[in-house]
Amino acid sequence: MFDIAPDHAIGLYAALVALPVALLGLKLRRASALVPGTVLGASVLMAMSGAIHLGLVWTHRDEAFTAALFVMNGVAYIALSQTYTWRWWRPASVALITATLLGYLGYIVLNFDTPDQVAIATKLIELTALGLVLVPVRGARPWRRLRWSALGVALPVLTIVTVATVWVDALARPDAQHVHAGAVLQQTNDVATPEQVAAAQRLYDQTTAAIAPYRDWRTAWAAGYRPGGSQTMPSTHWMNQRYVDAGYVMDPQHPQGLVYANTKHGPVLLGAMFQMKHLGEFGPDPGGPLTAWHQHEDVCFTPFGIEFSLMTPTATCPVGSIDISAPPMLHVWIVDNPAGRFAVDIDDKVVRKIDQG
Amino acid sequence: MQSLSWLIAGISALPFALAGEVDIGVLGLITMLLALGTLLLGIGVLWRRRRARAWAIALEVVCLLGAAVLLVLPIGYNSGVVSLMVNVALPIAVIVLLRKDSSQAFA
Repeated sequence: MFDIAPDHAIGLYAALVALPVALLGLKLRRASALVPGTVLGASVLMAMSGAIHLGLVWTHRDEAFTAALFVMNGVAYIALSQTYTWRWWRPASVALITATLLGYLGYIVLNFDTPDQVAIATKLIELTALGLVLVPVRGARPWRRLRWSALGVALPVLTIVTVATVWVDALARPDAQHVHAGAVLQQTNDVATPEQVAAAQRLYDQTTAAIAPYRDWRTAWAAGYRPGGSQTMPSTHWMNQRYVDAGYVMDPQHPQGLVYANTKHGPVLLGAMFQMKHLGEFGPDPGGPLTAWHQHEDVCFTPFGIEFSLMTPTATCPVGSIDISAPPMLHVWIVDNPAGRFAVDIDDKVVRKIDQG
Repeated sequence: MQSLSWLIAGISALPFALAGEVDIGVLGLITMLLALGTLLLGIGVLWRRRRARAWAIALEVVCLLGAAVLLVLPIGYNSGVVSLMVNVALPIAVIVLLRKDSSQAFA
């Protein structure tokens, strides 16, 4: 969702070329002086959307049906972007934009396409164009009430449905590198070799032995580990800033973090966490697919209570929180975690069982 | 569009609030109030209210400065196409479109 699909990049370039051309076209046409600014804005945005669709034809030429739809869509958008003085321009534009949006949603629900930055940007351009088409202008009496209703109800509903569909699709059908919401996995071989299995076992044994004293949280506290988040959650990462700053790389004696379950009996050690210093810099991977690191991307972080949520497809976070990405990390779970000893997450059921125990 | 974008951000915080992240939930509610305020500002601009125009420009300047700071800081802030469109291009477009204060246009 936050990447650009290689076959969609050309659409972005087409839009960037179309923007100045469309603005120049407005300057040169006398008719542009006769229509409101909202209509001109919609014209420019539709020209950009048309250019994106036409640009995508080349990279989708193997998919005849999709390519044909792109051609029809692109031509219709370009035509409407130039015929804004036409009497039926507004109904035609509303129909085209709505059909395009719903058609795209159908495409991703049916898994014909996966949403990426170009697709989401195009949908935002189209939704903005739709809003500008619907805005009633001074003196325009016919359909005024209907246009206000459409602007106040239909546009928000369409926007929320579009964003929600894109988000649900991205979360429900992640690619191989995004198995966990907000986390990107290190690329590895598919099946661990016997050497990698042995190396993973060594790392597990060394780490388990090294962090054994920290089963008593007071020892961890004395060593410099501090809770790095809300302790009302099932588990909390305790971070050692000294080890983070020192940049130890997967050193079982100096794990940058420890993970504790927050139980009614106090913190119970679940495992350790190694973390690299810099974004995009994955650590050594002795166990291949067994010990793949992961990097958290586009997480909304708030210092109020040190809590997290996920950035929306429209790249916004709740006010008071900021979008951050955390450098690659690798967990080693010393409790029996069904997802694996080095899994991205600890299973909630395990934490609940420990709490009840 | 900006109001809707914030509304979605506000709604997105609610599942995390239900999972126990109370502060994120409060921020989500504040974000939805901001979305409502932005919507009212948009209506005010459509009605040619001068005060709404001033507030809208101020809001966009704050958004733009905030985005600029986050883009510069080494925190891995998203600099994708959508982020740049929503957090940089949209505020710039609104500021540019509202910059002319014609006494005939705004009252």
